[in-house]
Amino acid sequence: MTLEIPTALPSASVAAPLRSPWLFQRLRWRLFVNSGRAMVEASGLRLFVILICSTVVAGCVFGVCDVGFTFLRDKRLLDTGEVPEMLFDLLFFALFMMLVFSTGLILYGSLFSSAETGFLMSMPARADQVFAYKYQGAIAFSSWAFVLLGCPMLVAYGLVGLPGEHAGEPALLAPWYFYALLPLFFFGFVLLPGSLGAALCLLVVNFVPRRRKQIMWVLAITVIGLVSFWFYSVLSTTRADVWSRETAQALVGRFTFAQRTITPSHWMSRGVISAAARDLDQTAYNLALIWGNGLFLYLVTTGLAVGLYRRGYNRVATGGELRRRYGGHWLDQALSRILGFVDAQTRLLIVKDFRTFRRDPKQWAQVVIFVGLLCLYFANLPNIHQFDESEQHGGALAGLRTEWAERNAISLLNMGATALLLCTYTSRFIYPMLSLEGRKFWILGLLPLERDRLLWGKFMFAATAALLIAESLVLLSDVMLRIPLIGILLHVVTVATLAVGLSGLSVGIGACLPNFRETDPSKIAVGFGGTLNLIAGLLFLMVTISFMAAPWHMVMMPAEDGSYVTPMAVAGVVIGLLVGVATGIAAIMVPLQVGAAALRKMEF
Amino acid sequence: MIELDEVTKTYGVKTAVDRLSLQIEAGELFAFLGPNGAGKTTTIKLLCGLLFPTSGRVRVGGFDLQREGDKARQVISYVPDQPFLYEKLTGREFLHFIAEMYGMAREQMLSRVDDMVALFELSDFIDDLTERYSHGMKQRTVFSAALLHEPRVLIVDEPTVGLDPRSVRLLKNLLRKQADSGVTVFLSTHSLDIAEQLADRIGIVDRGRLISCGTLAALRKQAALDGSLEDVFLKLTTETSQDVQGEAVSA
Repeated sequence: MTLEIPTALPSASVAAPLRSPWLFQRLRWRLFVNSGRAMVEASGLRLFVILICSTVVAGCVFGVCDVGFTFLRDKRLLDTGEVPEMLFDLLFFALFMMLVFSTGLILYGSLFSSAETGFLMSMPARADQVFAYKYQGAIAFSSWAFVLLGCPMLVAYGLVGLPGEHAGEPALLAPWYFYALLPLFFFGFVLLPGSLGAALCLLVVNFVPRRRKQIMWVLAITVIGLVSFWFYSVLSTTRADVWSRETAQALVGRFTFAQRTITPSHWMSRGVISAAARDLDQTAYNLALIWGNGLFLYLVTTGLAVGLYRRGYNRVATGGELRRRYGGHWLDQALSRILGFVDAQTRLLIVKDFRTFRRDPKQWAQVVIFVGLLCLYFANLPNIHQFDESEQHGGALAGLRTEWAERNAISLLNMGATALLLCTYTSRFIYPMLSLEGRKFWILGLLPLERDRLLWGKFMFAATAALLIAESLVLLSDVMLRIPLIGILLHVVTVATLAVGLSGLSVGIGACLPNFRETDPSKIAVGFGGTLNLIAGLLFLMVTISFMAAPWHMVMMPAEDGSYVTPMAVAGVVIGLLVGVATGIAAIMVPLQVGAAALRKMEF
Repeated sequence: MIELDEVTKTYGVKTAVDRLSLQIEAGELFAFLGPNGAGKTTTIKLLCGLLFPTSGRVRVGGFDLQREGDKARQVISYVPDQPFLYEKLTGREFLHFIAEMYGMAREQMLSRVDDMVALFELSDFIDDLTERYSHGMKQRTVFSAALLHEPRVLIVDEPTVGLDPRSVRLLKNLLRKQADSGVTVFLSTHSLDIAEQLADRIGIVDRGRLISCGTLAALRKQAALDGSLEDVFLKLTTETSQDVQGEAVSA
């Protein structure tokens, strides 16, 4: 074989380090275009579903906000601008805090533990350029939901407008430049929390390298906890007449920390409200504050990256031990004992899946945070809704009925929230489980066990976790709402049906449509199979709740005050229950049977 | 061209590289051998400036990696054992990106990309997205990217994994000719036959320490064994292992 090998450059030809800022922008654009094209070619349905879902979510947010702002305008609570300013201050402050931590955590993953940065760091790219490239990606990833939810809300505010000066006069709508300036406000604003999160990430990695992940998580969870506690304490102090001007004025006082002139959230809300009120001077002033400070913080953070990024990369890579030793854990042993009734092979598979899940905090931390927030909400239900026992026993029948109607609706909604959490859990964590076996799947394929058992093992693991989470949540909610025993039993059965049904669907569809090429579970979950699984899960959820729980809430629960219930209504509730259980059994058996058949035919 | 001066690198309490000193001249093909976990990959990461030494100094092309890393990396090409490619770029787009990264003029870039496509026989798949590439196709693309800007130092980690015999032969010719043309080649490998065939000098590292360094003849002399490189390697590393165990027992 003859080869013409190029000769090396002489030593004098060492070029200066790269200074083209557009190189990474061109890379990002090319990746974006190619990804979009590949997505359309591979799965147009997926793109269609994403667009439809985004439109529906944005439409729902717009609808709710439109109703809310119209209500406030009609109550003349938008007159002085204090109430919308308070609402926007609170919203932007909460988003600011969330963006600080989400950007910090995303940036940590992409700057210090991704294969791409390892590659880029071995190239002559300047540290601050690599940092800026990854920073922009992290900002876009962490704030897309902010833009998706924030835009329709502010558009609704502009379209509802301010009330006319006198009763009967038409509302004063926001001018055209209010809508034109919204993207400028959003993009300027996200620079501030994004830069703070990035600076926090760099400082933690450089100066507390050993416990960096734990510190970021503890900080994030502490802030979420504090914000939640404050939120519920505010709600619990508001009484029935919440829509009066006095209550609103009292509430304004609770938000002073977010209304200081040095808080970026306040610049944002002042700027948006000024634009809607056609006050160009204030609009320009606040927009300049946002962009001026945002760009300054971005420059400071990028400056930090010049000195700290490579140093931090080195510290992350060498901060811990070369090889960490993992051993048995009491949780694995406990699970193994609990599953003593299962055959040994299936039990081993379940414990293996649990061990893998346990060792990946990125997976279970999300479940812990969402379950924690729901627990906090359910535990505070009596404070939030101020159910009054004295009114119940001594009050008028009308008051009693209102009380029951409220409990009835809230308990059904809470069960719906729990079911949605279950659906997210099974789509995000259970569906990718089989795919995550990846190219190692042949190891399981060669084991001396029936392939059906692989599937049943994963199903039992998924269903056990789902049952534990969902039943605990729904029981806590029902106990706090003092739902009658029959209602609690019905919720327990409904949630059990949902937990095992959703687990069966996710495991079965996961076996029918595996993606062995992908190693990132979040990417598997948003693929075509994952999207299909999510849609199937949501449909199953709606059917189950409609048949099993909704009839009782419509017919039986309102009758707890002693009203007469017809035998036909009781029969309807019972039939609904039976149909729901049958749907649940079908949701387990059909996907698992089809999945098992697909697995038996699979070649490795 | 490559200088390591008393370089030590620790991971927490573990020492991955222990007082390593090495000097490799321009145009030399240096094979770096060692058992698993001996410190080869850590040494390579130190040479690329991905990691900084805990103590000691690393210089490549006359530039200190810690203080002038960007300049040093301008003369280095690194081919890792697990090749990285952007999955949503085609091979050609990836090569263009690398060329721009090294500041190549457009005409020069187009010409060099065509040369590399021909040299590594990439024409059948160069315009496909790299997510569809096999390991061998990825490895060939990464090699073509590494040579695109005509580096003065080529650092290669386990280059033959996943390559078919024809590609291995192509690679061996390529590495030797690169060295002959003045490029310093630092080759980390477990393939002792490749090291034996190609290397001007061989360094053997074990438990972070350079236990032997020189030509194959010098290594044979040190091991007092007139066998293949495999025999020499096994004898030297076994002796070190026994020495370390002896030190541990006496301590």
